[in-house]
Amino acid sequence: MKTSRLQRWFGPWTVVLLFFVLLSGSVQAASLGERFERTLGGSAVPEILKQYGGEHVLPIGQRMWVEEIFRRLVEVTEREDVDYTLTILNSSELNAFALPGGYVFITRGLISAIGRDEAELAAVLGHEITHIERKHGVNAVLRQMGLAVLLEVGVMTLDLASADLLRVASATLLQLVSLGWGREAEYEADLSGQALAVKAGFDGVGAVSLLDDVFTVGSEDLPMKIFRTHPDTRIRRDRLEAALVSFWSTPVVVEDRDVVERLNASRNSKQARRNDPGGRYVVIVPDEGAGLHVFDQQVRQYVTWFENTKVHDFAWSPQGQYIALIVNEGSQRQLWIGDRWGKKTKSVGLSGQAITEMSWSPQGNQLAILVDGPMGSEVMVTYLEADVLLQVGGDFTGESSIWLDTGLYFAHGDMWYHTSAPKVSPVTIRNPVPQVLQRQRILSPTVIKEGNTIRLTRPSLTIP
Amino acid sequence: MAKFKLGSSIILVVLITLSVVGACQAFVFTDPTGLYSTTIWDQWVYQAHHSTAQITVFYGEGNYDLLYFESLGTVADDSVDLLAERSIELYGDPGGLESFQLETPLKTMDVAGQSGLSCVYTYEDARGNTLWEYRVFLLLPGNQGFSIALSSDKPWVRENPPLLEDILANWRWLL
Repeated sequence: MKTSRLQRWFGPWTVVLLFFVLLSGSVQAASLGERFERTLGGSAVPEILKQYGGEHVLPIGQRMWVEEIFRRLVEVTEREDVDYTLTILNSSELNAFALPGGYVFITRGLISAIGRDEAELAAVLGHEITHIERKHGVNAVLRQMGLAVLLEVGVMTLDLASADLLRVASATLLQLVSLGWGREAEYEADLSGQALAVKAGFDGVGAVSLLDDVFTVGSEDLPMKIFRTHPDTRIRRDRLEAALVSFWSTPVVVEDRDVVERLNASRNSKQARRNDPGGRYVVIVPDEGAGLHVFDQQVRQYVTWFENTKVHDFAWSPQGQYIALIVNEGSQRQLWIGDRWGKKTKSVGLSGQAITEMSWSPQGNQLAILVDGPMGSEVMVTYLEADVLLQVGGDFTGESSIWLDTGLYFAHGDMWYHTSAPKVSPVTIRNPVPQVLQRQRILSPTVIKEGNTIRLTRPSLTIP
Repeated sequence: MAKFKLGSSIILVVLITLSVVGACQAFVFTDPTGLYSTTIWDQWVYQAHHSTAQITVFYGEGNYDLLYFESLGTVADDSVDLLAERSIELYGDPGGLESFQLETPLKTMDVAGQSGLSCVYTYEDARGNTLWEYRVFLLLPGNQGFSIALSSDKPWVRENPPLLEDILANWRWLL
């Protein structure tokens, strides 16, 4: 078949023209879609404020702290077309949610429940920001209205600026917002929100401890609405815990192993390990079967901690607030954490596996442990404040470990390997103002209930 | 009788002198982070459990008597005027201090060679008590914000109290 000269000439140009028409259409569609998102979200804001008691203004210091966490998260988002805003709602309910177009809401009740845990607040806000980043809200609304396909094949045919469409979409949005954007969207927001928080310099464990705190509350009514669409919170929690290890670097061989070996030897010297960094206690010996024999230099007395316990090894945390022990509990070799008054605060045990060695992180909030497994000792990390266990050694087993400012080192065969956790940066207010303090008139003792007895302790003292 | 009167007057004068001397006994306080030192009257007790590396707290004899020094860290304000004005604005805004009222306008002052601004304001605590606070704002080299505050439920803090005069007169920057 012959083609005419005209056809030969116009053929390629038609393709190019068509390409540009489609491209400009899709750019317009994208821009229209973004405008629609913002308008849709904005249309629901007054109703949300009405439902949740209006906007709540936090005290200055707390407001600056929350805003700084939010700012750090927004700074590492990918969508440049979104103008993020955070509103604190005047409700005691534990809730947070996001509307399309960048509107993030959190209740004062949830902020109060989180307290000063920046990792947990970053987890909540990261989760909500991810809903906006991934367009979960707007997609859910369009899906509900049966318009999702239309949006995908060509928004140009749909008048997104139409007032009627907006009214219906807004009503749908308000219906959906209290239910969540669907299970898959929530799973995605969990993991991507956690990754966003880590990218912004927060500890990813906040997402896990947040769910643990909700478990602790344990009431049907109290868990946050943001978890309402998830019948199995345990699955979500375990997924978030499993994801934590992905933020660690892959173990690599250490070239200058002499330095690490020297540091390991000095750290493991008996003298270095005995002395409490707080300067009060000296551990005499782990007393076989009779706990830990300790000399209290302040009252110049010998005391025994963890009586009737076989202690194999011990290590003070770098700041001396805690002491970690490897003990025999039944047939298990467990890790125990005690406070600096010799009271057990936590234990970590793995069924059928013995914990053989431990090493504190320089910040004193994590511990690397070696856990005996069938192929050798696995290198794991656990947290002081959260019940998580991460296998950070990858495919390698370890024989010894040391945690320095530069990361975690572990010996494997003749080699030392290095791995490190993502950097965590504490929140510092960018432009602070002086605090206004008020005198606390009564120093109440702390009441601790132990079985049938109540123990009163002095108010805690901290050295500046 | 006259002798008795003279004797009792002397005793009274001695007692008053002793009590005044006693009241003004002070100790040198050096900031644990090594930023400053000053003298604090003995009646003011350091509160270790309320103090941190950034903030140092003392309680006085009255139930509401409070003295504290705060290192703010780096601030974005280019001048102490901006720091003071921004702070006062925030104290008065929603979420700031209840019933905040500036009692004396900002005035310049010198704290051991660093120029600062001071003012007195009142506000209500959660129990509805009106508290008076004397506040000094400072901007140290490197844009490090610093603040000195003295507060009470009595208006004596308004009139340049001798305690504050002593603190400021003996203030030394250690950097």
